[in-house]
Amino acid sequence: MNEQPKIGVFKYSCCAGCEFQLIYFQKHVIDMFEKTQITYCRMLQSGGHPEGPFDVALIEGAITEQWQADQLNRVRAVSRYLIPIGSCAVCGGVPAIKNTTEEQEIEKRVYTDTSLVHSMKTGAINDYVKIDGAVKGCPMGVRDLSELVISLLLDKRPEFVNCSVCVECKLAANICVLVAYNEPCMGPVTNAGCGALCPGHHRACYGCWGPMEDANAWALAGQFRLMGLTNDDIHRKFTEFGQPTTQWKAGQIK
Amino acid sequence: MKRIHRKIEIDYLPRVEGETNIEIELGHAPAIRLKIFEPPRFFEGFLVGRRFDEVGDIVSRICGICPVSHMTTAIQAIEKAMGIEVSPQTVTLRKLMSISQIMASHLVHLYMLAMPDYYGCDGFPAMRRDVTRQTEDLLILKDVFNALTGLIGGRALHPVTHLPGGFTAVPSNEAVGQIATQLKQIRPNARRTAEEVAHLGMPDFHCDSEYVCLDTADEYAINGGRIVSTRGLNIAVEDYHAAFHESETEYAFAKKTTRQGASSIMSGAMARLNIKFAKLRQTTKDLAEALDFRPPSDNPFHNNIAQALEIVDGVEHCIELIESSRFEDEDIHIRINAGTAGAVTEAPRGLLYHWYEVDGKGIVQKANIVTPTSHNFSNIEKHLLKLVQENNDKSPPQIRLLCEELVRAYDPCFSCSVH
Repeated sequence: MNEQPKIGVFKYSCCAGCEFQLIYFQKHVIDMFEKTQITYCRMLQSGGHPEGPFDVALIEGAITEQWQADQLNRVRAVSRYLIPIGSCAVCGGVPAIKNTTEEQEIEKRVYTDTSLVHSMKTGAINDYVKIDGAVKGCPMGVRDLSELVISLLLDKRPEFVNCSVCVECKLAANICVLVAYNEPCMGPVTNAGCGALCPGHHRACYGCWGPMEDANAWALAGQFRLMGLTNDDIHRKFTEFGQPTTQWKAGQIK
Repeated sequence: MKRIHRKIEIDYLPRVEGETNIEIELGHAPAIRLKIFEPPRFFEGFLVGRRFDEVGDIVSRICGICPVSHMTTAIQAIEKAMGIEVSPQTVTLRKLMSISQIMASHLVHLYMLAMPDYYGCDGFPAMRRDVTRQTEDLLILKDVFNALTGLIGGRALHPVTHLPGGFTAVPSNEAVGQIATQLKQIRPNARRTAEEVAHLGMPDFHCDSEYVCLDTADEYAINGGRIVSTRGLNIAVEDYHAAFHESETEYAFAKKTTRQGASSIMSGAMARLNIKFAKLRQTTKDLAEALDFRPPSDNPFHNNIAQALEIVDGVEHCIELIESSRFEDEDIHIRINAGTAGAVTEAPRGLLYHWYEVDGKGIVQKANIVTPTSHNFSNIEKHLLKLVQENNDKSPPQIRLLCEELVRAYDPCFSCSVH
């Protein structure tokens, strides 16, 4: 690629932690982005060109309002690649917990006057537009982010981490918290990339990187039941980072 | 010259955390509206029905810049509600994690959000090309603070080791000692940051406020203490609801929190310095004196200098905490009890309040979260109004820049404010 690739960064409903990870967090990320042009990113700089065009649009956050979905469609139309970054954008993340309860009920718990609220059921980015890959994680993983930018510069297809946390646990030689300590670990159904962070720090994985492709949620939910978890407990485990349309659906019993 | 009625609309204010518009009406009767359009995510709504030990992990996702503050405040409230005691080591580890996160947050705010205005840059990438030394200081300082948060939390952003009752894993003394060595090495960078910020040339603007912060007798309070103000407020955290009032507005998804009686308040680094300056280390106080900064100040732009001085002091505070501690593995002991309780901490941007009702199975029944930017919301509007009134003879682009600088000086977080 002769010209520096143009990158647009858009934030929807989220904590802005992925954008933070992208822009402010680590020196080598900042260095890497010097080979690109960030032409739109509101938290980073004034001005910019939200209208595009973009070689890559990075989308942070889940969709919870109609204007976000409308803008997302426009961004898709002017972007060569569109990549959701982080769990909210990839699978709904924490903001999708509200999908487990009726929308009006949730709103009434927060505002006495809900007439000004225009919130919808929380959706992931690929519920609305075609995506060209995903940088998973909460916050998104720096390894996959680096892979994305390097692939863009080399004009090659990125290879994202695509296995369960269990694989990373074995590579790190951790003792299995599920089998050895009887802890309800979400590792078997959760996408890797964190380096098995929680098991490495003596706790069960809570699934923040979201569902792994082809996860066997049904089997893990069954195992949790054998371990004595109630249906409510299991439901909570499978809804903290996975909205009800993902690969974790089979575990979302209630 | 007769001025016609004009309006300035700042559409999606850049270089702040989260999403807001600002509407400024000029002319004979100026008016300000901070139209925070950041979409609500309804944390207080969906926390109902979740287990007590998920709450810290969930609320850290309110904010990507101060996740440790939300996590710590929530966990402390849950512990109080359920009657869980923690060890002195846990208290120290929380302090280290909170201080290191506050420092990292201040650094991002000062160098990447606020400073570009004063160098005439549109953002950090342009600054990195033009003002290299300063941006190097940022990266050096930030790496060390992030490393400290990450060492204790497992990762700096959305830590994983912190649960009600304590930490699932404790860092080795060797690793913590290495951070102490690095902290000593970055002392000059921290000092230079304060000098740099003090010399930015901030507007000479004065507007008194009621400054509010946490205070304890023996130290610069971060994770607990009494809520005190420059106008005589001095209450226990349990009396929070009697002293503060949260209300909805028709033009923002964030709620406004004021003192009962609707007077606005300011919390954050400047409020802390205005009240607790005497509790800073002598070297920090000497530096402030050398920089000609003598709190109390009633210039909200000085929040920038206050943050920079907190960075200088925070380096020393962390070194002291590390050098006076020996960390060892501990078990977490909890018991599940019904109860209700609130907790307050000093987040980077000011007072953060979390309140929970938990049932006998440890399930959250009700939640209330009041963030620093909700506490500061009314005061930001009050200060903007006065700033516009005093600068009514300037051109709209000049007024616009002044207003943007003022809002940034407050270091608001609109994602937090709506949550």
